[in-house]
Amino acid sequence: MKNIFYRLGAAALLSTAFLFSGCEPEFEEDITLSKGPLDFSKYVAVGNSLTAGYQDNGLYLEGQIFSYPNILANQFSFVGGGAFAQPLFTNEQRNGSGYLRLGGFSSTGAPILAPVTTNLAVRTDVPALPGGRRLTKFTGAIQNWGVPGISVLASAVPQYGGVNPYFERLLADAEVGQVSYVQKVVSTQPTFFSLWLGNNDVLGYATAGGVVDPANPFGGITPAATFNAIYSQLAAGLSRNKAAKGIVATIPDVRSVPFFTTVGPTFRAGLPAAVTAVVALTKSGANRTVIAKNDIRVGSSGTALFTLTSTAYLGLLGQPTGRYWRDQAKAKFPADAAAMDQELKRLLQNYQLDTTKMFGLSGENPLPSALVLDADEQAEIQAATTEYNTIIRNAATANDLAVFDAFTFFNSIQTPYNMNGVTYSPAFITGNLFSLDGVHPTPRGYAIIANEMIKEINRKYNSTVPTIDVTQFRAVLIP
Amino acid sequence: MKSKFLALLGSAVLSAGVAQAGGFQANLQGQKQLGMGHAGTGLALDQSSIFFNPGALAHLRQNGIQLGVSALNAKIAYREPSPGISESATDNPISTPFQVYASFGKEDSPLRFGIGVYTPFGSSVNWGTRWQGRYGLNELTLKTIFIQPTISYRITDKLGLGAGFIYSTGSVNLQRSIPLADANYNEAGVELDGAASGFGFNLGVFFQPTEKLSLGLTYRSKVEMEVKEGDVTFRLPTSPLVAGQFQATQFDASLPMPANITLGIGFKPTEALTFAVDVQRVQWSAYKSLRFDYNAGIRGETFSESPRNYEDVFIYRVGAQYKLSEIFTIRAGAYYDNSPVQEGYLTPETPDSDSRGVSGGLTLALSDKVDLDASFLYINKKERTDDASKSGGVAGTFKSVAYIPGVGINYKF
Repeated sequence: MKNIFYRLGAAALLSTAFLFSGCEPEFEEDITLSKGPLDFSKYVAVGNSLTAGYQDNGLYLEGQIFSYPNILANQFSFVGGGAFAQPLFTNEQRNGSGYLRLGGFSSTGAPILAPVTTNLAVRTDVPALPGGRRLTKFTGAIQNWGVPGISVLASAVPQYGGVNPYFERLLADAEVGQVSYVQKVVSTQPTFFSLWLGNNDVLGYATAGGVVDPANPFGGITPAATFNAIYSQLAAGLSRNKAAKGIVATIPDVRSVPFFTTVGPTFRAGLPAAVTAVVALTKSGANRTVIAKNDIRVGSSGTALFTLTSTAYLGLLGQPTGRYWRDQAKAKFPADAAAMDQELKRLLQNYQLDTTKMFGLSGENPLPSALVLDADEQAEIQAATTEYNTIIRNAATANDLAVFDAFTFFNSIQTPYNMNGVTYSPAFITGNLFSLDGVHPTPRGYAIIANEMIKEINRKYNSTVPTIDVTQFRAVLIP
Repeated sequence: MKSKFLALLGSAVLSAGVAQAGGFQANLQGQKQLGMGHAGTGLALDQSSIFFNPGALAHLRQNGIQLGVSALNAKIAYREPSPGISESATDNPISTPFQVYASFGKEDSPLRFGIGVYTPFGSSVNWGTRWQGRYGLNELTLKTIFIQPTISYRITDKLGLGAGFIYSTGSVNLQRSIPLADANYNEAGVELDGAASGFGFNLGVFFQPTEKLSLGLTYRSKVEMEVKEGDVTFRLPTSPLVAGQFQATQFDASLPMPANITLGIGFKPTEALTFAVDVQRVQWSAYKSLRFDYNAGIRGETFSESPRNYEDVFIYRVGAQYKLSEIFTIRAGAYYDNSPVQEGYLTPETPDSDSRGVSGGLTLALSDKVDLDASFLYINKKERTDDASKSGGVAGTFKSVAYIPGVGINYKF
């Protein structure tokens, strides 16, 4: 009897010694990661502003660092991914194009957005391009080819390098106006790529409220046949007959972003009882459309959307004002009073306006088309989006690529949801997903998108690329 | 001698332990019992009967005072749901649950009086301010001290009854991050801090039909710990618009310390050898939700409530002690504790799962009047993965271990 207990005692002592050394909790299974059949040694990202990391109405260093391609590359590095070179702004010019920050709130709780104008990469030594002021050139290796503003249509045009300062910035001087975006990115010969392009083939039209600027050849809706021809060529060129794998993304429903959904509900709620409808210009011409009060979209009721930029003018409803048109003329000729006056007259003539009448409530002084996305304009956008997304999915099938269905994803987040104790919704500022321009995601939003893409890559290729902890990325900073 | 005891008491940090039974119950109430898987309801071992079974107190031959303290070192690891790979671990301070028991009564009297001061519930979990679940919890410290005056009556040599009144005092401190960052990227947060108190009782029956066999049955009531006007402190961006959304300055809350029914059996095949078996029913179903009521709105809400819906559980304990000599006694034991936390309800404050404890201990009798106890308990909770969909917790996988050395001193008079 005694012997047993002596042995038990010895065993207890031994196990005690063991327990002290093994006191950290350990999981039964080690983390297993796998790249599957994929080769991440040279990842190249192709796309527009979303790919560049554009947010808060600008491209700047922080946004570039937290771009979804950079997050993807970081996660690829766990499964053999190579270095990922981005065309970063220098720290000295970290504010890049300039952007909007949240300066505070007005007494009524409206956000006050302040432009950041220091430490820019904007060049004043050379003339501006049609697409805006040029930016400091980037001369190193580039794997993130995100170019804000670029559309599928523009990507095939060699002259585009002389139009868009974000593209011009990435090109050698001799290439500007000579080499198309498609040529440039296809020549990189990636082993893995992401392709998220096409948003601007409808977005420019949408954010301009359905107005096409005659001076801008890329401001309309790209015909589906043209889109198909260019996109198929681009996807095939990157894939090199399936030598490279990759992921493509569909185009979100532009109507799902806060740029369009924020203002309407407040505007509708604030309309005086006597006002049952407003009048607006529709599309690019002088045609008017009447929008009934209950046709202003709130949640799933109504249709008409008001842009975030309309906030500045909707308060003038019912007043005899031409401020919007004056602002337009002034923006075009900021330093030339006579030219500005001329332009204002042209606009009033063109749209047959009488600004002594009640703004937005009379046929003579309708709301500008650029501030409203009415039912007809939305129908055009929706039809194009659907066609593009079919083309994108077909290209993915043809080249054996994964698909991130951004259309479905951005619709799914319309319903607020909770993750790790944080509520996400498409609400402006408070929804955590969208940055201060109401179109582009916050760093947190981009991280969530990167995770969604990783899940699709894993699903398609049976890989196990790890996702990232999205709580480590910021949403909108509140002063 | 007494003054030394007081000095010891003063130096002990008055904090309760991490949740080392299911939920936030900390079954660390006697060093001898700890050596035997914390079984002992059916035994009359020493003054710790005030906790384990007030009915057994009057069966002790001597009066005495006992002091004990454990050093509770618990670690919890977290891994986010696949295919995420982020891991976190708690940096919990070592906490020191303690127990003090004293009994008085005339040697030939069947009546004994006792007082116990012990820490049966508590939690101390610190996940920090960077981990993925920080909007659920940064840090939680729950402390309770039960003070239990007790009376025990030996009806016959075979039967004893005892009852104790419990006054409980304690505190709760909960800190969590708020998903709002200011222009300098400082994340907002809230701290709830308040004192708590409650009442309850502890009843026990001790029955010893033969020299070799003894039985105990106890009922320790639920103690509702009430916090009145605890402090709410926010750390927020300075914008008045934000401050206007977080106006609460005080909170009320109520947290149930659940009732326990324990049946214990003691068996002495020889003079030197004792076996103990306990079956403990913990009525955790009293813990329905964690609710805080505020004196002003937080984002328009004057209260927050997250469901817990704990379920009643059984804990099974076995242990043995063997008296090697007049001066040396050794012990060993183990227990199995079912988790009261149902699927979908896991939270970072108590990422609980079924747990297994093994323990060992010894007693060194320095003299007829003084002996020293030592114990060591190792707890290993099963790895548990939960989506936390019902508790508003943090989805992922949790794994906890704890090692708890303890010492005690007894003085008999």
